[in-house]
Amino acid sequence: MSYLFTKFNLASPRWPVFSRILAATFGGYALATASSLFISQLLLNVVGKYQAIHIGLMLTFIVYACAAMWVFSVESASKAWMGLIKLTIFFTITTWLLMQFTGANS
Amino acid sequence: MKDNFRQSMKWFHTWVGLIVGWILFFMFLTGTLGYFYQEITRWMEPERPFIEHNITNEQLLDTAQAYLNKHAQGIDGWDIYLPNVRDQNLRVGWRHPAEPGKKRGQYKIKVLDIDSGDKVASRATGGGRLLYRMHYRLHYLSTDISYWIVGFCSMLMLLAVITGVVIHKKIFSDFFTFRAKKGLPGWLDIHNVLSVIALPFHFMITYSGLLFFLFTYMALSTYLQTNDDEYREMRKEIYPRTAHLEKANQPAEMLDVSVLYQQTKTAWQDDDLSYVEMYATNDINAQVLFVRHETDITYNPADEVMINAVTGEVIAQQAKEYTGAGMIHNGFFSLHEGQFSGPLARWIYFFTGLIGTAMIASGLILWTTKRKPQQMKKSNGPDFGYRLVEQLNIGTIVGLPIAIAMYFYANRLLPLDMAERAAWEAHVMFISWAILLIYPAFRPGAKAWSEQLTLAALVYLALPLVNALTTDKHLGNSLPQQDWNFAGFDLTFLVVGGCFAFAAYKVKVLQASKRSSKQSGKQRVRQSKPPVLAASESLLSLQQVNKEKC
Repeated sequence: MSYLFTKFNLASPRWPVFSRILAATFGGYALATASSLFISQLLLNVVGKYQAIHIGLMLTFIVYACAAMWVFSVESASKAWMGLIKLTIFFTITTWLLMQFTGANS
Repeated sequence: MKDNFRQSMKWFHTWVGLIVGWILFFMFLTGTLGYFYQEITRWMEPERPFIEHNITNEQLLDTAQAYLNKHAQGIDGWDIYLPNVRDQNLRVGWRHPAEPGKKRGQYKIKVLDIDSGDKVASRATGGGRLLYRMHYRLHYLSTDISYWIVGFCSMLMLLAVITGVVIHKKIFSDFFTFRAKKGLPGWLDIHNVLSVIALPFHFMITYSGLLFFLFTYMALSTYLQTNDDEYREMRKEIYPRTAHLEKANQPAEMLDVSVLYQQTKTAWQDDDLSYVEMYATNDINAQVLFVRHETDITYNPADEVMINAVTGEVIAQQAKEYTGAGMIHNGFFSLHEGQFSGPLARWIYFFTGLIGTAMIASGLILWTTKRKPQQMKKSNGPDFGYRLVEQLNIGTIVGLPIAIAMYFYANRLLPLDMAERAAWEAHVMFISWAILLIYPAFRPGAKAWSEQLTLAALVYLALPLVNALTTDKHLGNSLPQQDWNFAGFDLTFLVVGGCFAFAAYKVKVLQASKRSSKQSGKQRVRQSKPPVLAASESLLSLQQVNKEKC
């Protein structure tokens, strides 16, 4: 097992791996949720509120999967965390901006 | 960089697949059996008569309505299920009022004798429904907990499928080096083949599985975007239902359902009735909904006809309107459940499900075979982790099929008047599985494999025998009668048993050849061990695959 850690540059102590698991599970969930809010705001005026929310929700599993894969492919756990946090904040802010634009109050 | 990504995905694929592999195996196998759940239920209720249906739908409807009028007075909703290819018996069902503290009452189905119109008394059993429900409603756990565990496992399965595709290119180049070195296809090849041939199914079944509990898993997002009313509205838009009136509490005489059915027949231009739902029965608002057999995954509004059961007028139904996303969502449900499929498509679903199950099994075995050469070199034996994985593999990949056979045995052998009989069928299954999971801990790996495979063979080969001793629905009767439900079961048991026997035999032969090659040259042992092991394992794997397919 340990040779895998060094071979794939995941550092020998197990803490970074544990940290990545947390990042993928909870960070990934937060990012998926934020992405669904963003998508539904983006589509709000195109397909109507409920369908927009629905599409956003259906895509969360794909976003979640991509996030988890990305977390385990970058060089370090801290980079993974930072990436997830940045992207989640980005989605949240753009969602907020879109809401100002569309005048939705959800 | 790109290669690096693939390397890390390979690592990820391995561990994601390993940690939930056994639960996924359980979910895939019980889910696959679910494609035949009606047939399983019929097998588990052998008291039911085998009938040729030369009786008209009208007569059957009269029989059912007479029974319901007698035995289900005061219940608002009745259902009548007409005999079909999958189940020749006439069945009626209704939901009992909810007990205090519960959301919904119990749904009871009764099988009717079409000649006498009485209930067919059959043994208490969980049937196929209990077995297939295990794949998302993990038997002993509470609903909420099992949905979250199932969701977590499905999410990891989705990741395993996606990462599998990502790393496949790399595996493809390995494919040939592997073969060239060992001379025989290894577990990796088998894992690849099983994954690739049914890849669309693997993705569909996993993603649609997640969609079933979309609003549970993504509750945070839903909560942030909707209030309770909006949420209800949204669900109505995604899952449109046929509207029906509630009881007005004014008793009224209902017309005969068989008379009402005439209008439906004219509208459909055929007699392909699947089931009937009745609302607000024996009330001024009584309605009857006739539903035609589903033949494809699309929604066809003409398949349902609603009639006022007091006046006999057809109630114009607003066709259900699906949104684009709703269509995709419900389309995935249809694909997942395969309710629309005929006998051939059902068998294809079944085999594809087994391929998925075998893919998971081969992945789990691959994990151990890859590490075996290194682990065997350790002075104080293999690591705890390695032994645990091997033990769980044996206990699950061979143990679970045995446990499922025990579920069938329990159905035939438990006393008919036993209290909690249906529950005990499942207890027997899980107790057997627990024993088979623990047993390999006390045996060397190779021995445990061969012993459990032998046991599996015996257990499956003896099932038709026990069926013959305990019921009159054995091959000697079912084949001449062309009762394919029962004949198919016995024959499938024999084939599965035969495959397990063959696998057990092969394992023994390979162990013997391994021992003899060890004795032939001590010098060579060190070097030749890994290839020999890999070769033997891969042969075994071929049997495994055959077995899984049966």
